[in-house]
Amino acid sequence: MKYSDYYGYALFFLILVLLPSFLDSRWLAVATTFIIFTIVALSQDVVLGKSGMFNMGQALFFGLGAYTSAICNTKFGMPLLATVPLAIIIPALFGIILAGPIIHLRGDYLLVVTIGFNIVFVQALQNNLLGLTGGPNGIFGIDVLRIPGIDSGTQSAVYYICLAALVMVLIVLKNLEKSKAGRALTYFREDPLAAESIGINTRVYKIFAFAFGAGIAGLAGTLYANQYSAVSPEAFDFVQSVLFFSIVIVGGSSVPGIVLGVFVMFVLPEIFRDFATWRYFIFGFAMIFTMILRPCGIWPATYGKVPAYILKGKQHGNK
Amino acid sequence: MDIFFQQLVNGLTIGAMFALIALGYTMVYGVMKLINFAHGDMVAGSAFVGLSIYTHVMGEAASLPAVIAIFLLTATVVAFFGILLERAAYRPLRSAPRLSAVVSALGASLIIQNGIMLVWGPRMRIFPELIPQLSWEFGGVIVSLIQLLIMGLSLLLMIALYLFIEKTRMGAAIRAASIDQDAARLMGINVDRIIAVIFIIGASLGAVGGLFIGLYYRGITFNMGWQYGLYAFVAAIMGGIGNIPGAMLGGILLGLFNAFIAGYVSSTWADAFTFILLIVILIVRPTGILGERVAEKV
Amino acid sequence: MATNDLLLENVTKRFGGLTAVDRLDMEVCQGQIYGLIGPNGAGKTTVFNCITGIHPCEEGRILWKGEDITELPPYRIAAKGIVRTFQTIRLFPQMSVAENIMSGRHVKSSQGWWHGIMHTPKSRRDERKNWLKVEEQLEFFQLHEFTVQPVQSLPYGLQRRVEIARAMAAEPSLLILDEPAAGLNDKETMALLELVFRIREMGVTILLIEHDMDLVMQLTEKLTVINFGKKIAEGTPAQIQQNKDVIEAYLGSDDDD
Repeated sequence: MKYSDYYGYALFFLILVLLPSFLDSRWLAVATTFIIFTIVALSQDVVLGKSGMFNMGQALFFGLGAYTSAICNTKFGMPLLATVPLAIIIPALFGIILAGPIIHLRGDYLLVVTIGFNIVFVQALQNNLLGLTGGPNGIFGIDVLRIPGIDSGTQSAVYYICLAALVMVLIVLKNLEKSKAGRALTYFREDPLAAESIGINTRVYKIFAFAFGAGIAGLAGTLYANQYSAVSPEAFDFVQSVLFFSIVIVGGSSVPGIVLGVFVMFVLPEIFRDFATWRYFIFGFAMIFTMILRPCGIWPATYGKVPAYILKGKQHGNK
Repeated sequence: MDIFFQQLVNGLTIGAMFALIALGYTMVYGVMKLINFAHGDMVAGSAFVGLSIYTHVMGEAASLPAVIAIFLLTATVVAFFGILLERAAYRPLRSAPRLSAVVSALGASLIIQNGIMLVWGPRMRIFPELIPQLSWEFGGVIVSLIQLLIMGLSLLLMIALYLFIEKTRMGAAIRAASIDQDAARLMGINVDRIIAVIFIIGASLGAVGGLFIGLYYRGITFNMGWQYGLYAFVAAIMGGIGNIPGAMLGGILLGLFNAFIAGYVSSTWADAFTFILLIVILIVRPTGILGERVAEKV
Repeated sequence: MATNDLLLENVTKRFGGLTAVDRLDMEVCQGQIYGLIGPNGAGKTTVFNCITGIHPCEEGRILWKGEDITELPPYRIAAKGIVRTFQTIRLFPQMSVAENIMSGRHVKSSQGWWHGIMHTPKSRRDERKNWLKVEEQLEFFQLHEFTVQPVQSLPYGLQRRVEIARAMAAEPSLLILDEPAAGLNDKETMALLELVFRIREMGVTILLIEHDMDLVMQLTEKLTVINFGKKIAEGTPAQIQQNKDVIEAYLGSDDDD
């Protein structure tokens, strides 16, 4: 990372770590939700921003993770912390299963199919599938995520748990960027034919991207279940997917862009209550203007991140 | 057997509405290769516009001339907004990558939907009873006047559109632009005008569809656009996106499918089944029933 | 049969009613610089697309090092050592030169998908090794000063070089070049000539399509000429120049690019 990147991240985290000292419970809840949605938006970015696939059903995986944790906790008595691996793996598996048959579809069609998956998912939830999902009212009374040695019941604790999750997610995403798999995603986004011809099995990596994004969204789902102690179908409606989709496109496929997008969409309406009724109306205009004026988003992805040791010249020895 | 025929009637009615709305999607997609996400919201808006015209312009008159006037005025207003939509949200992005146009369409959809909410409020409104609530019974099957009206008028409009597309010069120009916009331009076809025409036609048909929704379901909400819009879009894809007879066929088939699922399985699963059907079709035959495969040159 | 042979037997490719490639036989031997030429629309790029798996042929077969590769998808063909460039240059536009070349290392990298989640010391070594290989290509192709520049901002001639560098990063045994001199001026074409010879010296077999006849005559050792998908002549450049059928197909003159 460039030095300016380090400063940016440091400042960002400093603010986030100090927030609980400044905010009361209600605002801390807003901040917690902000972090949770940022994680979902980052997961959306893997599929849409990095891999270029028009996925408008990410709320499905978010909801899968949330409901997995909710069901395992309330119906099977598992402590919430123990449900985390399941909340990551089950959505990831669904990501693989769902992506498999549809991954070859052209952009617009893929878009509509993912919306379709989301709608089927929500309706299944509402119909109390297998007697597990609790119908239109959802599932209540989810236990708090307990970490031994910490008073996990306070809003502060919940907030810090989410913050820790965000840090982990960002580390994993950084890893992805600097790996063969991560680069493969951007290559086939830019030119699928060239990527295939240079040896990239685009089908496998597309499914990988879906599963990867699904797993991260699933983790966010557990955090959501922890924060609200309840899950319900409307929270994972395809309308939410549209929002996450728009945040990535309008904000831009970068961490600052996504954070900005989530902030505008979810935090500003809390700060300016009047804004809340107008928020979608204004956001609609923002979307159109951004596409006309800044098609790559407000804070687009940057490239050219190359290890320093190959920039320096012919100084090092063996190759 | 009663259920079958009842759902047949219901299905054809819903299908007719889907078909009218689907035509708007398919015509725009055919020429511009763009999913006009805002179309569903325009349809929803039509119901509200119709409501307001009834209340404020027609003085709540429900005579036949008044009803006809409401339909014509609503269609005109909505068509105007359709042109506005195209100019503001789509024309600036004609040469932009597809993703930009998709997002712009979504933005337009949010604007229209929330515009409706800001003007008419977030709560459900009741659409006026413009058509008498008459119905007849034939051997256990109930058919209402409204259903007959919807089916009949939709059929007329679809026939008219079909003749327009197949038999007129403008129709031929539209077909040409759907196949290859650039080639059509080179042949001297004014593509801008074609696009204006399809938006007017699509919006007008959608307006009629929206008024039918108001008449049939009576309760209208600002966010119903996406639900009907998505269904109609599924119908357009099923029939073969870009294919006008396909949209009509898809609409009717989808209406029937929806009605039969509601009647025989459960109405709470209707959405899910419909979209599963869509997904299956897209996997097995993405070009739709009447669509054609287009090869891509490398 | 020698190894590193590319053998096309009776290859036929149809697009609906059009037969783009008609029962083509062709053999490229190891270390050769082999040319495939013919008038516009003769089907040359289609032949390349068949070889590289983009449009698998309907009839006939393609053998590489004795193995049947006819039905393989493009990414498997690349893994077998056959890498191509495109007539219209298909780079990854927003990404830098180095990142583009790095894509060529994909087939040579030992990382699995799980390393996208978490690195191990082994995968970190793999990363380093591949970036160093990229650096080798940057030097070989004299692209070092453009390392972090986005390729879409480079002039056409440089983009061509990046595309070839990307292909070479994959350490191919057979390099397929589709009209590498298209859009290049005379100076750039000369540089390309030298480059191709240097690549051949490294042991890479080269198969190319080209319209620039001067370049073809200087560069290639053997040619196949096709027209309307059918082979009309085969031989050394000198032989081809005298061949009546070839002259007729081209009507005598070839256009400058």
